[in-house]
Amino acid sequence: MTNKSDKLNSVVSLTVNNQMITAPPGNTVVQALWHCGKARIKGIGCIEGVCGSCRVLVRRHASSSVTTELACQTTIEENMQVIFPPLSRPIPHQYQLTEITNERDLYAQFKQIFPEAQHCRHCGGCNISCPKDIDVEQGVRFATDGNFKEAGALFFTCVMCDLCSDACPELIAPNYVGLFSRRVYTCLHMKPANLLQRIDQLNRDEMDVVLPKNTGTIKDQ
Amino acid sequence: MQNGTPYNTALKYYSTDIHRPLVKADFSKAELLQNYHPDYDEHSMAILQSGSNRGDRCHKQLASILQASERAQENDFRNANIIETDVLVIGGGGAGCAAALTATGAGAHVLLATKLRLGDSNTIMAEGGIQASIEKNDTPQMHFDDTFKAGHQQGDTALIKQLVLDGPDVIQWLIQQGMQFDTDNAGNLLTRRAGSTSADRVVYYRDYTGLEMMRTLRESVLNSNIMLREYNPTIKLLSNKQGQCIGAVLHCLSNKTYTVVKANATIIATGGIGRMHLNGFPTSNHLGATGDGLALAYHLGAKLRDLDSFQYHPTGLAFPENLAGTLITEGIRSAGAQLLNADGKRFINELEPRDIVAAAIIRECVEGRGIFVSKKSRGVWLDTPTLEQKKPGILNSQFPKLVELGKKSGINPHHSPLLVYPTLHYQNGGIIIDKNGQTTVQGLYCAGEASGGIHGKNRIMGNALLEIISFGRRAGLHAAKQQAKKNKDPDQCHSILRNTGRSQNQQVARQYSPLLFPEYTGFNSSVKKND
Amino acid sequence: MIKPQLNSVLLHDHSQCGTDISKWLSSIGGKGLETALQRPSSIIPEIKAAKLRGLGGSGFPTYKKWLLLSKQHNNNNRYLICNGNEDEPGTFKDRSLLENTPHQIIEGALICALATNINHIIFYINPDQKKSLDNIRACIAQWLASDYLPKIENTLGRSLHFRVMASSGEYIGGEETAAIEAVENKFPFPRGKPPFPVQHGVHFQPTLVNNIETLANVPHIMRNGAQWFNKLGKGNASGTKLYCLSGDVNSPGVYELPMGTSLNELIVKYGNGICGKQKLKAIFTGGPSNSILTEQDLQMALDFDSVALHHSSLGTGAMIIVAEGNSIVKHIAKYILFFSKASCGQCPPCTTGIRYLSELLTKIETGHGNREDLDILTGLCNILPYSGRCHLPNGAINLLKSALRHFQGEFENALRSTTE
Repeated sequence: MTNKSDKLNSVVSLTVNNQMITAPPGNTVVQALWHCGKARIKGIGCIEGVCGSCRVLVRRHASSSVTTELACQTTIEENMQVIFPPLSRPIPHQYQLTEITNERDLYAQFKQIFPEAQHCRHCGGCNISCPKDIDVEQGVRFATDGNFKEAGALFFTCVMCDLCSDACPELIAPNYVGLFSRRVYTCLHMKPANLLQRIDQLNRDEMDVVLPKNTGTIKDQ
Repeated sequence: MQNGTPYNTALKYYSTDIHRPLVKADFSKAELLQNYHPDYDEHSMAILQSGSNRGDRCHKQLASILQASERAQENDFRNANIIETDVLVIGGGGAGCAAALTATGAGAHVLLATKLRLGDSNTIMAEGGIQASIEKNDTPQMHFDDTFKAGHQQGDTALIKQLVLDGPDVIQWLIQQGMQFDTDNAGNLLTRRAGSTSADRVVYYRDYTGLEMMRTLRESVLNSNIMLREYNPTIKLLSNKQGQCIGAVLHCLSNKTYTVVKANATIIATGGIGRMHLNGFPTSNHLGATGDGLALAYHLGAKLRDLDSFQYHPTGLAFPENLAGTLITEGIRSAGAQLLNADGKRFINELEPRDIVAAAIIRECVEGRGIFVSKKSRGVWLDTPTLEQKKPGILNSQFPKLVELGKKSGINPHHSPLLVYPTLHYQNGGIIIDKNGQTTVQGLYCAGEASGGIHGKNRIMGNALLEIISFGRRAGLHAAKQQAKKNKDPDQCHSILRNTGRSQNQQVARQYSPLLFPEYTGFNSSVKKND
Repeated sequence: MIKPQLNSVLLHDHSQCGTDISKWLSSIGGKGLETALQRPSSIIPEIKAAKLRGLGGSGFPTYKKWLLLSKQHNNNNRYLICNGNEDEPGTFKDRSLLENTPHQIIEGALICALATNINHIIFYINPDQKKSLDNIRACIAQWLASDYLPKIENTLGRSLHFRVMASSGEYIGGEETAAIEAVENKFPFPRGKPPFPVQHGVHFQPTLVNNIETLANVPHIMRNGAQWFNKLGKGNASGTKLYCLSGDVNSPGVYELPMGTSLNELIVKYGNGICGKQKLKAIFTGGPSNSILTEQDLQMALDFDSVALHHSSLGTGAMIIVAEGNSIVKHIAKYILFFSKASCGQCPPCTTGIRYLSELLTKIETGHGNREDLDILTGLCNILPYSGRCHLPNGAINLLKSALRHFQGEFENALRSTTE
């Protein structure tokens, strides 16, 4: 637990997009921006680390390495430099799930939808850039090997921040490969018996709901 | 509230115990709510002075937004570009996407306008799961009864009936969009128990259900013909002389221009109000949850309900302070985690309705049995280590998001309890709708958290994710069938509130309606600078 | 006797013998090699005295790398990579040498092998240079059949192996450790130094990576001596330099001139001035990973040390001329896009950072940029240098920073009037 008297009167200075700001220690980058009244809307979202909007480049004091992080999860440090990059615009990979109907054609369809994925050069940049420590390159490899179940599962914590897409020199969009993999696998394989049975019962009007007495729609037309 | 036990002391005295009994309650639930739940604090409530809900009880902060001056006046968008579309969807979360996808699937031309990006929403943060009565020992009737009861019998029964009957089909539709759920070895959907319900009914994807749903729906929208306008908040709804909603005015945040959208039907799916920080509570909500849809609809003359009823989720993280308000899923209490006061004792059945549990926690703190860090930070223990003892491996396998939150906090939930306190989580009420999502204004629809009537005075876990898809789809379908209005000309564009009287004080309000972003983002001051 | 200034050595008619070895040997070829064969131990001191420097961009004293390698204990296999990847914009000198004067390069490589006990010579050439590849293959066949090869192998005490390979064509493949990866049949990812190639190169054996132009000078130095080489240059500079002049000049091309020739002389006398009699606006030097020059630098001598004093770098000796009336923002956007595509991917700061720079510059250049975009650009310039394994991001930032410094107003004027 922080000793408040030690932290009294101490502020942390850092730069965000080349503008210097100061805020009390212990705050995240997002909170620090609010603290000094910087109106920042783009790049802020859930503030919980699941929407991927607040991706930033971070360089810490006296270090030459630059890391990719989520600003809502990054605690400020003295002389840190933070950059909110432009909004991501990944190359759209268009497909309709309704057109992917069987496993036999799936692999060929995948190659058409994500032709770049075949050209992974194994640079490992995607792994380093991922703020969720996903083994992105392995995920792409699973997909290009046709193991869509494994590919989708590997990306389960992916917040679609697009950092891996931005880091890929072959213009593969690995996070979209992962999402595609999980979606097609689900579509083709998920047929839960308990769900289907209940739907069948409902379709046959075998289940109904009886309303309590003296109730109805309250809304006035 | 500095009474209670200091954090480090309480931590020293904490220990795991898999046989902790629950002491019999020495209070009635009604008393608990009356004395400790923020909804019952008369100082925070006001009576609406104008509009369709004039005379109704409403939270003060919400009342001031509902009655504040509109941001945009006719001069601002007199020369704006005009886009014509069949269906305008306002909001890019789960309800907005479900509505847009269904509308476009029914052949309508759809424009989806959102204040932030597609997918920025409360949906994406949802952890618990989605309710659907699919198990053999469960029925839609039981689902109905649980929902109606938890809402203190205040919900709209026709809406609830439709909701629960929709449940299984909603899951099926989500699977068709490619959304995955946790299953057992036989491929059956796994279910878990929501607080105050009678059967295991919540289907889920780890504790990332909302994330999985949102990234799937977003991808569906991006692969469709839906026209998308991001960073384009709606600042005003438009009606014709007949009082029908004919569209809206968008304001582009990037280049500060306005667009007038004329639509046969407009669907509000703007989500919640957490970032209003009612009563100074931290919130679990995303940045954009500022109740915009309520303000927009109110200015157009729509009727709202239950404006004094908000859900404070019992388990928001309370320490470290910079993460205060972060949600910890109810699912962990469903799995068996218990709440303890500073004396290491349980004080409430953890699976009571959320309002009861939240009030109970507040009571412990007020009466000196809580744990405090500072003036602003206090709470009770969420006993995750005992749960891990009872069910080894459960945290990593079913609650990875919680484990990550622990890592970020520097607290290991396997060994250390988490300090929790209620966090502003959900708006129980909202815009009144019918079974097709139609509001009291012709041509205006609503789906999702912004709508009211389903949850009565208290919502159960998993019904929100069900509602957004169920009513999103229905609103989208019905909206798609709307014919073009005969009269597409906006009326004089002044708010209907002018006609229903407003006190002098409120006209001088410093706030603009809708709020768009909380004050601490500096957004409103930067807008003023550029005026 | 006043020697002619232009094309006096490497591009001299005497050197332009094409692929015919007999023509080369009956011209000026072979003499340098013979001197080297007689006294191999004199090679490195001669190269040192000649002050020959790496002409692929580094300007590093050539003798130092040779000396370090020759002192390595490991003597199993030693490699020389003759680096003809040449993918920098505005650089086409190595191509000129490979197409027109291949034999002097090979002779230079052979002399290097004698100096350092290298037994593997690899020609590593851009795949777009079909003629160069064909030339080198044809020439090596002739050297293999010549009397020189047994003599060289005898002196080395072991066999000499040759390999001619097309590089991947990736810009990054020109970086020396990336070239080593490519020779090992892998993607040319820079390895990061230390360890240095002279210690651990191809298959972890001692390796030299020398530029084509550097090697081409070697037989001439050995034939005529270091003093002769020194006198070729102006001031303190030594030898000649192949300058690649391009852009808004009337006579673009390769010009071999005394090292230390002034920028003004290159542009006016040899380039015949700026197109349309426009004023000079800027010069992109050497590749263009360096700070840009302006008309204030016109009298500057084009040698490594003088250009460094002007806070830039001679690099490959390429000078891309930009006249008034051109948008610097547009040019910078073009080159940053080039760097963005050239990034190998290993280091996310480089790949993502330069990609973001490219997006921002495109936005600004097309009139959609705002104040914050310029702030982000500046912020990226502050954090990206030395964040990667190689110098690609450093070069990109040098270029951008210098443009912001000299043409701040132009960037500002390109911004939209409304701010974010």
